[in-house]
Formats: sequence, structure tokens, C-alpha cells
Amino acid sequence: MTRWNNGLDEVERVSEDITDETNALPAQYFTDREVHEMEKEKVFGRYWIYAGHANCVPEPGDHFTRTIGDSELIVVRDHEGEVRAYYNVCAHRGSAMVEETPMTDPGNARRIRCPYHLWTYDLDGSLTNTPKSFEDARLNPDLEDGEVAELDADRNALLEVRSDRIGPFVFVNLHDDPPLSLEEQAGAMKDELEALPLGEYQLARRYVSEVECNWKVFGGNYSECDHCQANHQEWVEGLELMDSELEVDDYHWVLHYKHKEDVDDEVRIHDEHEAKFYYFWPNFTVNMYGTANGYGTYIIDPIDENRFQLVADYYFQDSELSDEEAEFVRTSRQLQEEDFELVERQQRGLESGAIAQAQLGPNEHTVHRLHLLAQEAYEA
Amino acid sequence: MSRHHSHAFEATCSDCGVTKAAESPNELIEFYRRHSRHTSHELVWTRADVAFELPAADDLECVVVKLETHYDEGVPVGIVAAAMSDRGATIGETLESIRDVRLTGALYEPRDDHVAVV
Ligand code: FES
Ligand SMILES: [Fe+2]
Repeated sequence: MTRWNNGLDEVERVSEDITDETNALPAQYFTDREVHEMEKEKVFGRYWIYAGHANCVPEPGDHFTRTIGDSELIVVRDHEGEVRAYYNVCAHRGSAMVEETPMTDPGNARRIRCPYHLWTYDLDGSLTNTPKSFEDARLNPDLEDGEVAELDADRNALLEVRSDRIGPFVFVNLHDDPPLSLEEQAGAMKDELEALPLGEYQLARRYVSEVECNWKVFGGNYSECDHCQANHQEWVEGLELMDSELEVDDYHWVLHYKHKEDVDDEVRIHDEHEAKFYYFWPNFTVNMYGTANGYGTYIIDPIDENRFQLVADYYFQDSELSDEEAEFVRTSRQLQEEDFELVERQQRGLESGAIAQAQLGPNEHTVHRLHLLAQEAYEA
Repeated sequence: MSRHHSHAFEATCSDCGVTKAAESPNELIEFYRRHSRHTSHELVWTRADVAFELPAADDLECVVVKLETHYDEGVPVGIVAAAMSDRGATIGETLESIRDVRLTGALYEPRDDHVAVV
């Protein structure tokens, strides 16, 4: 049942059962500044968060940065070929070390050097070098040079962040003792994705858009297609919407869309006659297209309670796009724009304060799952 | 130097004669939004001092392509409006066409009120 802010009704927690009358996350969780702050810890500080694609850092020393909540991370390929993540924070006095470096334009460094006092770290995080001024006490009359202890390479190393992979997708977890392993969080999705040759595809395009709504509003929009008939008219022309299927797992759900016309199996990364869209809690999606030999990912990064950044990445066999691929990407961008209109409008409605708790439809069980996971995270 | 001279951008409302000067092109867009919300008047760009020549192509997408060579993270919509005003488009019309072209997927917004070509 819809609950209005009429001064009488009170919201309740999201009910476990979608047929119960309080099946949506109360509106306040989409508009409140304090909720945004809380989510940094309870959502983005506990679960596995997508950091980027291993193919974007092929050589030792290649790195990009990624901000999750308030934490800035460096994702780097080390000398052994492993991809690791560190806080972009110097062990000396806490300066940020590398400038923002997007995945599309990764940096390369043999070492990580802090620009402040030039402490230098190896790609495995250990401290390898400090300037002379850290080795003797020449400016300090109270201290003999001989009393200065050598800095321990490991104990003054960078702080590493736990990371794990699904194929080439690198995930990080900011919690000291994560409640779930990546495998547990991903469930069947890990095996499904790892059965595909995702690593053979290259990042070809990235579009970053700032959108004026809460990240969960966009997450909810992505997770259902009840709005498609009315709002993506061009796209649904090619689809058998009634044959689509929504599959819900613990921390992910999959939307299967059937295309009316069958596309040649030879030219697709996955072999079913459909498009498959994975939403992985909290803010990552994998988009397996039915009509192009490639895949995409979305990162739905909150900026604050009423803005998020959509990072849309497109992977194809070659990073140079063919005309058809470029056209395909444009169509995908068009869908995003159409959705941006919807979600910004929904956010406006939520912010009006009129609605206290929404009512989900029976085919919005994916959205219900998203809301329930949010609530479980807040209560944990 | 008077404050007035340091402002690179200026727009005028022909209905009520208000002139607004600004340091950044998007400040004028903000002003336009407020002004047209209150009065539904249109605004015309009257000065844009930029270090390069504003492109003279006719369609919006081409204008953005040309302007993009001067900006790293998207072209401020104010600059697009300044360029389009050379061929007679009001700020409101330009913002409306930007929205239309975004909906075709050809433009995107890397930052708020900045556009880039897909
Ligand atoms: S803070 Fe990094 S070297 Fe001093
Ligand atoms: Fe949509």
C-alpha cells in the first residue's frame, strides 16, 4: 500500500514478502543526507565493490584510481602480474600520492612515490626508499644520527585493500573482516560470467554521466522493464517483452530479454538468443548484449544523496569500434538518456516529501530485492 | 580596472532590459534558468570573450565537436549557447536542442551542464 506523508501514516521496514503491503524502502532513504553518509560505511564499506577491469592495467606498474565512499584507491598491476589495490594514502603523513587516473587513461609507474616528502613504495606496497632527511637527524640537535632507526619496509608499507576477481573484473572490499567472500556475494553469477571469455575483450568506450537522482533510484530503474513499453519505444520494437524473464538470486538478479529477430550466434559473446543484464548488489551491472559481440558494465557511484555518476564502459574484441559497434553504443546511450529523464523525475517526486513509502508491483520483485538488501545493510 | 570589464560573458533580456555579466558561461545559464522561471522571458547572448573563435557550423552536434577541442571534460553548455546564439538561437532554444540530441544518444553529459559527443 502506498503511504503518503499525510501526518497520520508511518512507514515500516521493507517487508520480506513482496505481497505484503509495505514492500518498498521508505522514501526517506532516497533523499536523506545522513543516509548517504551511513551508506558509505554500511553498504560501500562492507560489500564487494567493483573497482575496474584487469585488462586496463596489462603491464606491471599500470594503475588507475577509484573512489569508493570517501576512500581513494590505487589499483595497480604488480611485478608478479597480480592486480592489487591500495589506499592512495602515504604511510608517512597521509598525503594522497597519485592524481586521479581514470581506467581509460591509466598511469604507469615503476614505483609509487609520494610527492610530499618523496617516500617511495614498491608495487607490492613496501617502502623502498626515503630521502636522506629521514636517515639522519642532522637538523635535530637533541638527536644523534646513530639513534635514528631505519624505517621498516613492511611496517611502513602502503595499506592494502582486499581484492578478488570474477574473470577480469576486479572487486575490492573495504571492510577489515568482510561478512561475505566475493564468491558468496556473487553466487551463481561468478560461474556464469567466468564461463565466458570476458578477458578477451577490450575497453573501447567509457561514458561518465552525472545524473540527478539517488543511486538506488537508478538501480531500481535498471532492474525492471515495466517502464520500457512506455519509455523506450524504439528499443522495445525489437523485443518480445512478454517473453522476458527476471531471475532473482541473493545478491544479484538477471533480466533476460528476448530479441524478436534472432541474431547470428557467431557474433555474440554469449550463446543464448537473448540479452542478459546482471545487476550485482550494490552498484555494478554487467550488460550482455543480444545484438552485438561485446558487453558493457555500469558503475552506479553515489555522489551524494541526490546525485550519482554513471560510468558506462563498453567492451569489444577490438578497442577500435566498427561502424555498427559505434551505432550500437549510441543506441545504448540513447537508452541511458531516456532512463535519466525517468529517474530524475522520480527523484523530484520523492523529494517533494509527499510520499512516505511506495508500493511495488508484482513484477518488480527485482526492485524489491534491491530495497530489501539496502535495508538489511542499514540494519546490519 | 572596473569589475565590469573583467567579465567575459554577458546576456540580455530584451523584454525587461536586464543585463547580466558573468565570469563563466554557465553562470549565465543559471541566470537564464532563474530569470525564465520567474518571467518566462528569453535571454540573448551579447558577449563571449573566449580565447578561440566560436565555431560557425550549423548543427548542434558539429558545434559541440568543434568546441570539444578546447575543453577536456565536456563543453560548458553556456559556450554552446554562446556559439548557437551567433546563428540566432536563444539560450532556451539551445538548451532544448541539447536535450533533444542527448535523447538520441549522440551527446552525453560528463559533468553537470557540460556536454560531449559520443
Ligand atoms: S606524506 Fe608522503 S612522503 Fe610525506
Ligand atoms: Fe529504462
